[in-house]
Amino acid sequence: MPELLRIAGLTAGYGDVQVLWGIDLDVREGEIVAIVGSNGAGKTTLLRTISGLVGARAGSILFEGREISKAGPDEVLAAGIAHVPEGRRLFKGLSVKDNLLLGAYLRRDKAEIQNDLDYVFDLFPRLKERHSQDATTMSGGEQQMCAIARGIMSRPRLLMIDELSLGLAPALIERLSEGLKAINGNGLTILLVEQDVMTAFELASRAFVVETGRIAKAGETVVLADDPAIRQAYLGV
Amino acid sequence: MDFAQILANGVVLGALYACLAVGFSLVWGVLNVINMLHGSFIILGGYLTYFAWQMFGIHPLIMLPIVAAFLFVVGYALQAIFINKVVTAPVLVTLTLTFGLDMILYNLMTVYFSATPRQVTLGLGSIQLFGVYLPVVRLLGMALALLLTGLLYVTLRGSRIGRAIVAVRMDRSAAALMGIRVNRIYAITFGIGALMAGAAGALFAMVFPITTNLSGVFLGKAFVVCVIGGLGSVPGALVGGLALGIIESFSGVLLGPQHALTVGFLVMLLLLIVRPTGLVGVKGYE
Ligand SMILES: Nc1ncnc2c1ncn2[C@@H]1O[C@H](COP(=O)(O)OP(=O)(O)O)[C@@H](O)[C@H]1O
Ligand SMILES: [Mg+2]
Repeated sequence: MPELLRIAGLTAGYGDVQVLWGIDLDVREGEIVAIVGSNGAGKTTLLRTISGLVGARAGSILFEGREISKAGPDEVLAAGIAHVPEGRRLFKGLSVKDNLLLGAYLRRDKAEIQNDLDYVFDLFPRLKERHSQDATTMSGGEQQMCAIARGIMSRPRLLMIDELSLGLAPALIERLSEGLKAINGNGLTILLVEQDVMTAFELASRAFVVETGRIAKAGETVVLADDPAIRQAYLGV
Repeated sequence: MDFAQILANGVVLGALYACLAVGFSLVWGVLNVINMLHGSFIILGGYLTYFAWQMFGIHPLIMLPIVAAFLFVVGYALQAIFINKVVTAPVLVTLTLTFGLDMILYNLMTVYFSATPRQVTLGLGSIQLFGVYLPVVRLLGMALALLLTGLLYVTLRGSRIGRAIVAVRMDRSAAALMGIRVNRIYAITFGIGALMAGAAGALFAMVFPITTNLSGVFLGKAFVVCVIGGLGSVPGALVGGLALGIIESFSGVLLGPQHALTVGFLVMLLLLIVRPTGLVGVKGYE
């Protein structure tokens, strides 16, 4: 499969604090790739650097062969990377539908936007039922569905999701995982940040383990799941 | 004067106040900037309307959209050039900056336009309805003020740019992830604030004499309307504007016009104590 994203030697941080110390990572078309690691390892910072919210200090981010490490968030999105942020970050006071339309903010193809609305409503029928409700008054699981759907509405080539399962009941995580598999089955590549390694390994074919801003391990999830160090540190066995 | 007449006067005034305040409220709500220029924007809109009418005979209703568009450009440029540089700074910094810009604009207007009170006199006569006497020009001013305020509401609720403005207000970095260029939305929002001020000024010039000296008075009224109605929402400005208009109308008759302003401020102080979110409250949007 052709390569979609290649990150090499990426460093980033906030002010005097350096968080990422040379990240190397690649995502191929059609994959679900997971980024796992404990709290504070730098996973969110990595996604924020890819999407241009945090400036890259050194290293490169190639997306479909194009350097995007200097691009702003609007340019990264236009290039085809959507970022579903940690904590959903839906817009309070706006309906589910308005939140979804904001996902399509950069698009002008009205008819196609309507098609994509139908597509995400098919994927998550709860959203259709609640399309006129204030998005932030829904349950955590419904909000996560809305956040993912909002990400899809930009018609990205790569969907990055930060903390899919955080704070959600197992049944809901199951439901969201199925949704992601369906989206991926329709051809969308997914980069998933997840603290719950079990969920991550179940969904993804490959994973990167981040520790204090560096890639500590990487490989097929079936292989990583048998790695004694990983089993001990992240799977609790 | 009877009750219905006082009420009608208050509603006419209140509609103009709503239109006058709604842009100030929007800018405060979205940018967290207390725009000290707002009063002078209103005067500028009023003077441009007056001079176009007096010197070139251009009808105020034709000038209204021209003035509004011009003020939008002025507001957009000021935000893009100056205010965006410090928009994330504490509110005192942006307040000081807009205060400084206001001194410049105010003095320029006083020099070039002088402080003589000016009013467009259209002479449209008046009508009498249920014993209430209503000059047509005031009815027109009220209708247009309500129309413009309504248009702003519809734009914020139903358009792509309106959604972006609300999104930026609610969560700046999540908005950036939607591809929204936040600084551009700030400039557009500030431009809309100036546009509404300019339009309100054009309407005021048709109804009351205006002078540069009123700049601070208008700014104060915008402030009171926001606090009474609730900050950063169109319905809040509408309710606050109507409330202030009616309060001023009644207190003007009962206590004398010189006390009308004081009563308005007293009501504001009272509300700040008992209901700091204003009558409508901050629902978090528009
Ligand atoms: N806005 C910020 N300013 C300063 N430091 C931050 C900021 N955001 C995160 N950090 C720090 O960066 C490190 C990595 O955080 P983060 O990327 O959120 O980790 P993770 O998502 O893996 O939990 C942490 O030490 C955190 O305290
Ligand atoms: Mg995180």
